[in-house]
This record gives sequence, structure tokens and C-alpha cells, in this order.
Amino acid sequence: MGKKRRNQDGNTGGGTNASGMGGGGGGMGGGMGGGMGGGCGNVGILGNCGVNTQAPATPNRVTPDAEFFRTTFMGGNATINGTNVSIWGFNDGGGMGGGMGGGGGGMGGPFPSPAIRVRQGDIVHTHLNAMMMMVPHTIHHHGIEPDTFNDGVGHYSFDVLGRYTYQWLASQAGTYFYHCHVNTVLHAEMGMYGALIIDPPNGPGAASDGTSYNVEAIWAVDDIDTSWHCLPWNAALCGGDAGLNNFNPDLFCITGLGQAELDVDASAATPAVAITANRGDTVLLRYIMAGYIPQRVTFHRDLGDITIVAEDGRNLPSKKTLSAGSSVFMTAAERYEFIFQANTSGTNIPIDIEFFNYRNVSGSLRNVGNIQGYVNVN
Amino acid sequence: MDRRYFLKSGIAGAAGLVAGSTSLLTWAPRAYAAIVNVNINAVAGSVDMPDGSSAYMLCFSSSNTPQFHGPTIVVQDGDTVNVNLANSLSIDTVFAVTGTGIKEQIAAGGTTSFSFNAPAPGTYLYYDDQNNGVNRVMGLNGILVVMPNSSNQSFSGGPSFTRQYKWALHTIDVGWGNTVQTSGHSAVNSLDPDSFNPYFFTLNGTSFPYTQNPNTVIEGNIGEPALIRLVNSGGMIHSPHFHANHVEITSINRENFTGQRKEKDIVSMMPLDARDVIFPFKTPPDAWPSASGVQRYPMHCHSEMSQTRAGGMYPDGLHTGIVIGQSPATEPKL
Repeated sequence: MGKKRRNQDGNTGGGTNASGMGGGGGGMGGGMGGGMGGGCGNVGILGNCGVNTQAPATPNRVTPDAEFFRTTFMGGNATINGTNVSIWGFNDGGGMGGGMGGGGGGMGGPFPSPAIRVRQGDIVHTHLNAMMMMVPHTIHHHGIEPDTFNDGVGHYSFDVLGRYTYQWLASQAGTYFYHCHVNTVLHAEMGMYGALIIDPPNGPGAASDGTSYNVEAIWAVDDIDTSWHCLPWNAALCGGDAGLNNFNPDLFCITGLGQAELDVDASAATPAVAITANRGDTVLLRYIMAGYIPQRVTFHRDLGDITIVAEDGRNLPSKKTLSAGSSVFMTAAERYEFIFQANTSGTNIPIDIEFFNYRNVSGSLRNVGNIQGYVNVN
Repeated sequence: MDRRYFLKSGIAGAAGLVAGSTSLLTWAPRAYAAIVNVNINAVAGSVDMPDGSSAYMLCFSSSNTPQFHGPTIVVQDGDTVNVNLANSLSIDTVFAVTGTGIKEQIAAGGTTSFSFNAPAPGTYLYYDDQNNGVNRVMGLNGILVVMPNSSNQSFSGGPSFTRQYKWALHTIDVGWGNTVQTSGHSAVNSLDPDSFNPYFFTLNGTSFPYTQNPNTVIEGNIGEPALIRLVNSGGMIHSPHFHANHVEITSINRENFTGQRKEKDIVSMMPLDARDVIFPFKTPPDAWPSASGVQRYPMHCHSEMSQTRAGGMYPDGLHTGIVIGQSPATEPKL
């Protein structure tokens, strides 16, 4: 599940070694028949409460250069640091999927959701089929700036119950992500997000600024409060206190893998998340800050100088090079393109990620968790 | 609906107050330096919350009733600011300005006047810096804007803009207010900063949809850049996200960027941060076909807990609108 891509550009190809999102999360995700997560119930629309469900035709629809099919699921499961967590997300629904009962995805699916990958200049269609369980969702392509109608924010346009095709132009190469924008505080937390990569016009093989790479990794780094993972889709939309102001993550993951799974993954023949390079390779790490609380990313000094070429889908006015062993502090939904040279051989060279409490009155950061990703240089 | 829009930002024209309410369109640099008198009262009381409930807060106010946030002080480079401060609280109050040495302490029940030279052009928070941030988060804060001697830049040599806005980001823990109301103002001395758990997340003193007002929504035609002065007075690390256009990072805590500026769709906001950005009002670059007519989008904090009020009601938190393609019916005021 989740392996196939509907777009010819979906495979990174070009001699790259992608540990991309959309590979099914390294064996995560329930797939078909994943069952209802933890007995959580979801029923359809009970009252509008700010939800504006529609399934209109796409205005000024044209033939796209690339298209993606996304169905929704709300009964998935993932094992994160050994803990089973209920997950919602998007499946690659295939061109044939959909229709009542079909849904294309079943109850479960990958975490994170399958990547969307296109080339700069493409006109893109993202086909959303939100029929599952009669629960509305949207797709907001974060960092992509289309017209209101295609921005996927219900309070300014509509929420999708049924089908809608988002039409947008991939105007600028960069690292983005997409996520549901219905009761976002909950739906994004539940896993309804995936990577969105716009390659330069010539396709994969170069970062957004044109810097060539040999090895590419896409990490989406997230924090999870398991106490939120049994709420209904419309929790507190109509009022009441669902505790959605109060976020206390107890699990942390890189592209769906917690520390226990990352430790296993790093020694796999083809790791899903760990970065594998040969000495002399140029590595591009596309880092998607997919969590809610601040993160500080520290690169082990064996990875050498770290160059930031782009942030938030925009090339920096001039590249910023950090000395070996440096850290980068980031807040929710930022994205970074990091480049480093694999010049020092090593196994499980760490990239340490610290998580900090979002509540911060005094100015002192308070650590609430850590996770470690790995780089193997042969 | 029992929702109310009682939370006021900005300042009413109190007697003797020269500073305050101004939009860029009404701002013309003076050819001379002025002495600007500002009257501020440190007061306590109940402030209406967006869900119709109330929270007990300590405030800097231009009147004798609580005002959240305090009056926005707008002055010009070279001006002298003369503050007449009356402390109606039963605890000492401090008036400090971020990034400067300006700091005055006033005893409980006391009054004082003091003057300072306007610091370098930019965006500042004035606040009570006692108790590791507790007093500030309880509400004792306001924004100071120093304009340069040119009307359409935030600093000499900075980018030009058509309109300017201030966005005060704040967070409120109703439980803290209850404690201070019940136990007295001195309870702020014993509140643990790390016990803070925000229940309301506000932008210019209110939350969505009441943020859909002319002083907070950014609105304009294509080619009319807006300067937005973001200030985080609260107790949370925020991550404001702009739809429709990336913003140019113009200044971070009065460090000004000239030349080509970094473009972001997220503006990280640490407590006490003041960051000025330009929202360029470009045609949204990823629309196909090109977007025409009026387009509407959100700006919201992506640390999504902030998109709630009283534990739910998404997206009624730190969220406002972006309107591209028309002039605002009412010009914004700082």
C-alpha cells in the first residue's frame, strides 16, 4: 500500500537514494482491514458548526501535467516506539478508486500519507475523495499559494464531503507538505499529512537552488499526544472543551518511525528513514517540521558543515553554512533543505532532535522529548 | 450567538495622550521632534474572553478599567516619551522596554512620571518584567512603535509599504487569573511560570472570528505591500503561518535586513519577540489560472493548539484573515 505513485515523477530516480515519505511508512500503517483504531468512533455530519461541506466542480479546469489521487482513512494504526496509535490519513486512491463503499483506501493506510512530487512548472491536480465514513476533509498544500477555491481551507471556501479536484501550479521548486485543514488541530495531529516536493524543472537530482545531490532523504518530524487519538473528527467543533488547547506529546517520530523502529530501520538493507551514503556523496535532507511543539535539530560533527539552501519552499538569498555540530531551532510547519557532504565514514551517525514545551513564560526552553535519526556513511 | 467583541486593542484617545491610534495613511513624519505624553494606569479586573466568559487580568490601561493590550504608543525617531504611570495594583509594577535599558519601577499605589528618548526605529514591547514573565503574561504589556523620519518605511532604507499593522500575540491561563483574583495581586510572586497552561490564544486581544476587523485583517490590492509588526507578549512559542504569499523578514528584534530578504511562510515567534515582516500583496503565485477578483485566506499559528478557544471551537484562536484584491473599507490603525 502506498508504494505506487500516480505520477511519472513520483520516483526520485536519477541515481538518488530516496528515503522518501510515501513508502508506506516503513511497514507502518494498517493497510486494508486495519480496523478501527482503538475503538474510536466517528460518525458523519451532525451539525454544521462552521463546517461547510461541498463537492463542487473545479473552476477553469484544465488538463494537468501531474495528478494524484487521495482517499481518506480514519481507522489506521501505527506502531510508534512500540506503542500502537490510531491514525487517520490519506491513501493513494488510484485512478480507479472511489465511489461509495470503495473509497480506495479501506480503514487504514500509511503514516505519514503518500508523498506528492512534481516538477516546477507543472499544473497539478490533487483529486480528493472524502467519502469514507461520511466525514469531511480537505487538502491544503502548505506553502503552495493558489486561489481561495483551491486552498483547502473550509472557513474561506468549503470542506469536502465527496470529491474535489484541487488545481494548482507548482511555481517554485521547494520542500512543502500537505495536510487536512478540517479541525486541523486534531486532523493533522492524527496523521493527515504527507510530503509535497516540487523538484526543479529538470526533475530530481538537485535541491531547490540547483545544488546537485547524490542522496536524498525526506524526513517529517512529528510529536504525538496519544491522549488525543480517540477523539471524533468533529471534537468540540460545536462547542465544549475537548482539551485541544492542552497538548502533551508522549511519542515522537521521524516519518512515522519512533526511536525503537528507527533503531531497527538503521540496520535494514534498505532503510526507510536512515540515510545511507557513500563517502564523497552530497546529501540533501528535506526536513519537514510536522509537529506542533518546537524542535531543535543538532547534526553530529562527523557530518561536517551543514548548508541551508532553502526554507519554507524558498531559496535563501544566500546559502547559509553552519559549522560542524551546529543546531537549528525551528517551529511548527517550517521546512528546511539541508545539504552536507558524507566525508566521514560511520555507522549510525546521529542527527539529534529535541522537543520543547510550547508553553514558555520565562524564556527558558523545557525539553519534553528526544529522538535520534541516523546517517550511515560507507 | 453569545460571542462578543469586547476585547479592544489599540488605544482610545485619552486626554493628554498624543501617541496612539494612527494608520500609515494618516501618519506623516513631523519635521521636528516632539515630547509625547503617555498616561498609563496599571489596573486589575475582569476582561471579556471571546467565548463570553471572563478572565481576571492585570493590565496597562489608558483608563481606570482593564485594557488588553495596553495602549499602543506610536512615536517618531528623535521624540521624547514622557510616561505618567499610576499603579493601582497592590504590588510594585515595572515598565520596561525590550531591547533597551528603559526600566522604571513604581511602588504599589504610587504614581510617577519619567521620560526616555525614543529608541531606534522599530517595534518594541513594553512590559512588566517581574517574576520570570508571569506579570507580562498576566497582561501587563503593550506595544511601542518608533517610526523613522520617513512615512512609508519601518526603518531608514527599509522596504516601502502601503499599510502597516500590529499583531500582538498573547495567551491566557484563566486559572492564573482566578488565583490572582482570589489570593491577591501578590500571588504573581508565587505563580510558577512553568505551570502556565493557556486556554485562550489571542491576536490583538481577541480571537477568530472577532479578529476579522480592520485593524487586524490584512487587506489590500495587488502591489500594496503591508508591514506587519508581530509581537509575542504571551507565554507560548508561536508559529504564524501565512497563506497566499510568503512574507519577507524585515526585522527581527530591531535587527534590520536590507538587500534581498529571506522569504518565509512561517514566522517563528519566541516570547518577547518583535518581528516585522512585509506581506507583499503579490498575485498568489500558484493559482492556475491566475487568480483575479477578491481572494480570501487565513493567517494562523501552526502550533495548532492556538487554533482553539476554551479547549475547542477550531479555528477560534490566533487566526485572522488575508484579503487580496481590494482596499479595506476602513484603514487599519496601530
